[in-house]
Amino acid sequence: MTDLYTWLAALADRGTLPDIFRYAFFIRGLLSVLLLAPLLGGMSHLVVARRLSFFSAALGQAALTGLTIGLVVLGEPLNAAYGGIFGFCFLSALAMVYVRRHASLPSDTLVGVFLSMTLGLGICLLVAVTKRFNIHQVEAVMFGSLLTVTDTDLAILLGIGIVIAVVFAWVYNQLLLDSLDRSLARVSGVPSAFLDYLFVMLLTAAIVVSLKVIGALLVEAMVVVPAAAARNLARTTRSYLSLSIATAFVAGVGGLFISSRLLVPSGGAVVLAMSALFFVTLALGGVRTLLSRDAEG
Amino acid sequence: MAGPPLLEIAALTVQRDRRRLLTDVSLNVPPGSAHLLVGPNGAGKSTLFAAVLGLIEFSGRIRFHWRASGRIGYLPQSFVVDRTLPLTVGEFLALSRQRRPVCVGIGRAQRRCTAALLASVGLAGFERRPLGALSGGEQQRVLLANAIDPVPELLLLDEPASGLDDTAVRQFEQVLVELKRAHGTGVLMVSHDLGQVRRLADQVTLLDRSVRRSGTPAAVLAGDLAASLAGGVEYAT
Repeated sequence: MTDLYTWLAALADRGTLPDIFRYAFFIRGLLSVLLLAPLLGGMSHLVVARRLSFFSAALGQAALTGLTIGLVVLGEPLNAAYGGIFGFCFLSALAMVYVRRHASLPSDTLVGVFLSMTLGLGICLLVAVTKRFNIHQVEAVMFGSLLTVTDTDLAILLGIGIVIAVVFAWVYNQLLLDSLDRSLARVSGVPSAFLDYLFVMLLTAAIVVSLKVIGALLVEAMVVVPAAAARNLARTTRSYLSLSIATAFVAGVGGLFISSRLLVPSGGAVVLAMSALFFVTLALGGVRTLLSRDAEG
Repeated sequence: MAGPPLLEIAALTVQRDRRRLLTDVSLNVPPGSAHLLVGPNGAGKSTLFAAVLGLIEFSGRIRFHWRASGRIGYLPQSFVVDRTLPLTVGEFLALSRQRRPVCVGIGRAQRRCTAALLASVGLAGFERRPLGALSGGEQQRVLLANAIDPVPELLLLDEPASGLDDTAVRQFEQVLVELKRAHGTGVLMVSHDLGQVRRLADQVTLLDRSVRRSGTPAAVLAGDLAASLAGGVEYAT
């Protein structure tokens, strides 16, 4: 990786690339966005279809609690504490799916209970943790910081991305059918419960590996807004997926440049760029509807 | 009828929150026959289907005696799909029929299969229409197309004719008769149209949380059907 950073820095020195490419942290951030765009953008339309938007927010909050547990149990540096985030998020996700499948209360009510519980626990632990550890580590997970992304993070991101892509290629149609109507999926032999657990496990993995760039508070946006923006224009599942990924990609790269220029947290900048794209697609969708009405009239 | 029935339901009881939705329901669906369920709203007809599909817990016995594919075709009573969902009719039908993810495209063989299937329910050329933008009747026909292919050994239809116009109802009934005759498909179907029940049923069960009457259409539909049910119900005759 060092050779790549050196080569890009040389191109920046010659003026071929913008100055910001002199910094390895920016290149790592850019690479992570290039990996995150297809990962989270691709998952986002299934998150919306399976009504897991609020669930994703709860997972983001659980990450904060997981971080504090990780810091207490595993200690610094931040990478060591990531074991706590992975562990706590997976446990929370499994518990939420189990309770959702077995309780009669509405799903958003149950997720709300979990969100409150994990956040309450996180805040209590946070107060204890900040007395012993550097608060900037917590900030990096809450808001996202390019400075904390390492080559190992990129390798993990790539590995998890490949695993998720392979699994989705295998069960995509079943996941979508199960999201549309559980009884129809059942008669087609779709293992609904297995898919429920599998999807949230993959979603949890994707969310946790994106925390360093996007941040726990904003990761929900990354798995909801691309699909919302794409839906304004898409007419087929194929275009839905392509536009979701394109939205995540454009907002990711754009947000990264904004973040490095204005020195604002990368997560906030990416989500703002994504929200701007949502309103652009909303306007384009409105114009298209007007034009088609005129053509019909 | 030789051999056991395709679907055998015995002493089926479904309870939710200490309330009995179905009590001691027994019925059979032999191969190549249609068993129609009639009864007021809330009688437990859809609950019965949910039990047969294994979606809810129950006591009693539900047994399938498959002779061939063991495939169940199902048309649900309600199918709510978001009007803005970017999913075409062709993609929907491909979901359970092709291995390749529909988001990367639909194979040529599947496209041909979809075209033929849609034509068989009077929706030729609807492949690229958004599923959510279809009328209730059109969606119902797409669901019927989904239920009858591949040919099912058992067909569960929960008010399949609701929202269909007269032509579509006739077309649907022809498809059903053909499935029974040519493929020996067993049909369990809910209907509120007593004329349709008389035309299609080999057996009828009048259900109102428990079996009120069961037998041939002539025997079950004799007399004032609505008056025999608690609370009464409007039926099309």
